Amino acid sequence: MKRTGVFICHCGINIARTVDVKKVAEELANYPGVAHSEDYIYMCSDPGQNKIIDAIKENNLDRVVVSCCSPTLHETTFRNACKAAGLNQYLCEIGNIREQCSWVHEDREKATEKAIKITKSTVQRLLRNEALEPISVPVTRRSLVIGGGIAGIQSALDLANSGYEVVLVERSPSIGGHMIQLSETFPTLDCSQCILTPKMVEASKHPNIKLMTYSEVEDVSGYVGNFKVKIRKKPTYVDPNKCVLCDECSKVCPVVVPDEFDLGLTGRNAIYIPFPQAIPATYTLDSKNCPGLVPIACGKCADVCEAGAIDFDMKEEIIEEEVGTIITATGFDLYGKENMAEYGYGKYADVLDGLQFERLLSASGPTGGKVLRPSDHKVPKEVVFIQCSGSRDPEMHCAYCSKICCMYTAKHAMLYQHNVHGGQSYVFYIDIRSGGKGYEEFVQRAVEDDGVVYLRGKVSKIFEEDNKIKVWGVDTLTGKNIEIDADMVVLAMAMRPSDGMSELTKKLKIAVDKDGFLSEAHPKLKPVESVTAGMFLAGAAQAPKDIPEAVAQASGAAAKAITILSQEQLYHSPAVAEVNLNLCTGCGMCVDVCPYDAISLEDGKAAVNDVLCEGCGTCAATCLRAAIQTRNLTPLQVHEMIKASLGG
Amino acid sequence: MVNLEELKSEIKRVLGEGKVKYFIGYRRSTGGLPAAPFFMKETEDVERLIWDPTCIANLTRFLDDEKKRKARQKEPDTRPIGIIVKGCDSRAINVLLQEEFIKREDVYIVGVSCEHSGMVDEKKLAAKMKGKAVAQVDFAGKDNFAVTAADGEKTGIPAAEVLAGRCVECKVDYPVVRDVTFGEELARSPGNAFKSVEKIEAMSVAERWDFWKEQFDKCIRCYACRSVCPMCYCDECVVDTINFAVTAQTGAKEKAQKIKWIEKSPATSENFFYHMVRAMHLAGRCVDCGECERVCPVDIPLRFLNKKMEKEAKELFDYDVGMNPELPSLVSSFRDEDAEDFIR
Amino acid sequence: MAEEFEPKIVAFLCKWCSSAGSDLAGVSRMKYPPNVVPITVMCSGSVSPLYILSAFNQGADGVLVSGCHPGDCHYIEGNYYARRRIALVRKLLQYVGLEPQRFQMSWVSAAEGQKYTQVIQDFVDTLKPLGAQKKLRRKK
Repeated sequence: MKRTGVFICHCGINIARTVDVKKVAEELANYPGVAHSEDYIYMCSDPGQNKIIDAIKENNLDRVVVSCCSPTLHETTFRNACKAAGLNQYLCEIGNIREQCSWVHEDREKATEKAIKITKSTVQRLLRNEALEPISVPVTRRSLVIGGGIAGIQSALDLANSGYEVVLVERSPSIGGHMIQLSETFPTLDCSQCILTPKMVEASKHPNIKLMTYSEVEDVSGYVGNFKVKIRKKPTYVDPNKCVLCDECSKVCPVVVPDEFDLGLTGRNAIYIPFPQAIPATYTLDSKNCPGLVPIACGKCADVCEAGAIDFDMKEEIIEEEVGTIITATGFDLYGKENMAEYGYGKYADVLDGLQFERLLSASGPTGGKVLRPSDHKVPKEVVFIQCSGSRDPEMHCAYCSKICCMYTAKHAMLYQHNVHGGQSYVFYIDIRSGGKGYEEFVQRAVEDDGVVYLRGKVSKIFEEDNKIKVWGVDTLTGKNIEIDADMVVLAMAMRPSDGMSELTKKLKIAVDKDGFLSEAHPKLKPVESVTAGMFLAGAAQAPKDIPEAVAQASGAAAKAITILSQEQLYHSPAVAEVNLNLCTGCGMCVDVCPYDAISLEDGKAAVNDVLCEGCGTCAATCLRAAIQTRNLTPLQVHEMIKASLGG
Repeated sequence: MVNLEELKSEIKRVLGEGKVKYFIGYRRSTGGLPAAPFFMKETEDVERLIWDPTCIANLTRFLDDEKKRKARQKEPDTRPIGIIVKGCDSRAINVLLQEEFIKREDVYIVGVSCEHSGMVDEKKLAAKMKGKAVAQVDFAGKDNFAVTAADGEKTGIPAAEVLAGRCVECKVDYPVVRDVTFGEELARSPGNAFKSVEKIEAMSVAERWDFWKEQFDKCIRCYACRSVCPMCYCDECVVDTINFAVTAQTGAKEKAQKIKWIEKSPATSENFFYHMVRAMHLAGRCVDCGECERVCPVDIPLRFLNKKMEKEAKELFDYDVGMNPELPSLVSSFRDEDAEDFIR
Repeated sequence: MAEEFEPKIVAFLCKWCSSAGSDLAGVSRMKYPPNVVPITVMCSGSVSPLYILSAFNQGADGVLVSGCHPGDCHYIEGNYYARRRIALVRKLLQYVGLEPQRFQMSWVSAAEGQKYTQVIQDFVDTLKPLGAQKKLRRKK
């Protein structure tokens, strides 16, 4: 006969006011399988816990039910108390008679009746619980960081400085991300490159960081603490150790294609360095645009390379790495050109996006920091900035707010006013969202000190006429129609997850939200975790955010990763699925429904990987043969709980 | 038109070459109208093979039994089993393949077309013949049967009048998976594949309850429906409290886990539970071969119950049962756009 | 005067959303009738049709299955499988003549204490006029 101890908590008067706790304890004392039943004013207090420990010893109890508040609050408390008394922690279950009973009901008699049913139902479950031990898993104490923008660099540096090895994977030839393209940053107007390049250099020189640029994650398998990652390293055809950055190769290269770094405002050669401060500091031969490598069609670059750094035989490599955690920081791209035809984007040379304007403002940009029209290289006398281009437009474009555009538009307009004396900038906006330290003051400065004209309203039409970009709109504050003969238009384009994100998330098996940004495990309390244990999120890949937020999240993700990496063993709930091989027919339905790929067919029968299984039980409900069930919440247990819930 | 002699020579060839372990087909029953299942091992057995509108039995059930037999044998004969299948039976094979219960190489499938008519319902024919004993029924062109009475009298009967319910509502009267086919592969166009279900759906809640209560009051839980069903291949039925699959390997813990979902007694509530669980477990798997209904000794229209699930699978989830063994099962898949208007 | 009929309801709540939502209703001291005894399961996807049929067989007057909203499942997609499975169970129950009001499914997030309260209140209100569920209940 099993000997269950039942403990009913008064929770002061929180439970006792509506539930007759004495009656519940008495009723349970006579319940089959119960050897001891008592009530106490605060079970979670030290004396309360001691009551449990003493009762276990005195009455030789082999399992314990505590009916009290929600198990989310004190399940651990009471399981630890049981452990202290020598009981297996999984032989302790909680009946929730506060949040789900005393607090929501007023009729004392009925609430008491319900509390009895809840407690009996919990006893019925517990009577069939197994003593289990947490599953322990060794940890590979290094991490993968995907994405070499500011977020990825920050996470990698934090991890590396804490003593953990990091593999930092970046798909383009240099780390730096979008931040390295920016001119100055709001609200302080620091030079973006000046503050980022030291971090890039640090990452590349750090003994704990293995930097893999021009590389992409090909496949991820395994589980928290033990991921196996395949990384495809694309050939650059240039040996970075030999390259001396003399630039002779690109001078002789006959190919010119739009430059990604300058967003097509300039061109680059097929062999190129993305920007002078690129890390790693080396050239890359872009095989897609090279006239031919097999057979060699041109070969001029190799001919002029005195260092002999060019190697046309370089092959793609698949590199396997084992890591314990993965941080995804793949950043953003701007909403596609093709989507903003209504503003003439992509059609008129002088309609630019925000990143292109950053390049025009940048001292290292195509115009050396002078604001000039791409079409005729004249100084634009009037510039219109349009906020929410593609954002906050659920009918046509993205429903969400891209968050940073209000601020960078204010910065753009301000820098333009500094740059072009006598120029006039106009900003069309829906609202100004300037939450953030020093942000509101920054916008006010743009308006008051620099004379930027803010017009609240939407632009209805943009067209080119007489070498001007005509912008028609409405100022909704005055109700007047506005017509501006602008020389240049800058669209604050919506941010979206970077290209290739959906393929990557499929490989990582982490969820994305409706807009394609990475889903966090909990919107409030787990903002840097993904739903998959051991995988974390950082930067604009999770949602539009500015640099300080991205950096903060990146450090948060690194800290979260360290909570895993700092341990030798991880412990995993043992309430996982188990297969009854006698009944399993190997139909594979459980394999289909398992969200964690924890089930596979071995010799025609289902086999569960305990470490991957999260114990959701969807396999059990799907199996037609009841051949798979989750431990300590089996169909038998539920059957008995139903019976007790109905007073049977 | 299926040429019986060609069919026989194909089976003889396959048996003669030793390609299959045995061949399952049909022979004249010693009593009663429906053809009996026929296990042919030697080429001379094949002479007694028949193919006519009485070959109503779904022989795929025997594939389940064969698999279990093979599993028990130490050195089993691993040659495939030859089997004759109609359209509905072939869909059952597809489901078994989908669930990896059998492998394609385990069966040599000879498909037969139902000749644009279908199989005869024994009871309907008896009523039509007003009790006159029937010796033989033959296909007689599109939508017609030729009936030979025991006294030798021959009558032509429009198929529609004596067709089995399953055939009236048949969607695919030619084999969808097979190694070789006899007869024409022409998809028929049923008037309405779910007419029987719609009739019940049109009833009021109270009428529906009365209808099914009357049916399940009768059930004696003989489990004939389960025994004949090719999809009920579980070693142990989850709702059967009698026949636990207890083997030498069954441990005490496993025995203790056995759940008595229902009482043994065939009370109405328990019968409802059994048949509803069976319907749920057949959702996306039942191919409407109608065998459960045919073998029911108390005449419960089980097709109407199980077909309801087929109808919902189609209407709610655009899921066709037994048409593609590569697809995941109905309940082990979902679409983002699955209906949720019923969820609050 | 005869005592008012009090329906007995079994509610299968997923641990992460609906049970947490029910906890929130408690924390917020919302009030709803005590007719429901909740059974917390890990995921709505783990609610087998057997559980639902068994609850009716054992005398439940109403059964509720509640999970996370689509896209919010703690286990990524368990609630999508539940949605499909429960749709079928619901159709079947109606088809055999059970009053459709007796079986309900809801999405209740951890933040929706108010919604949980309303779901239970409305369920109890709907069930009261129907009286006891005798159709599928095992005779004692």
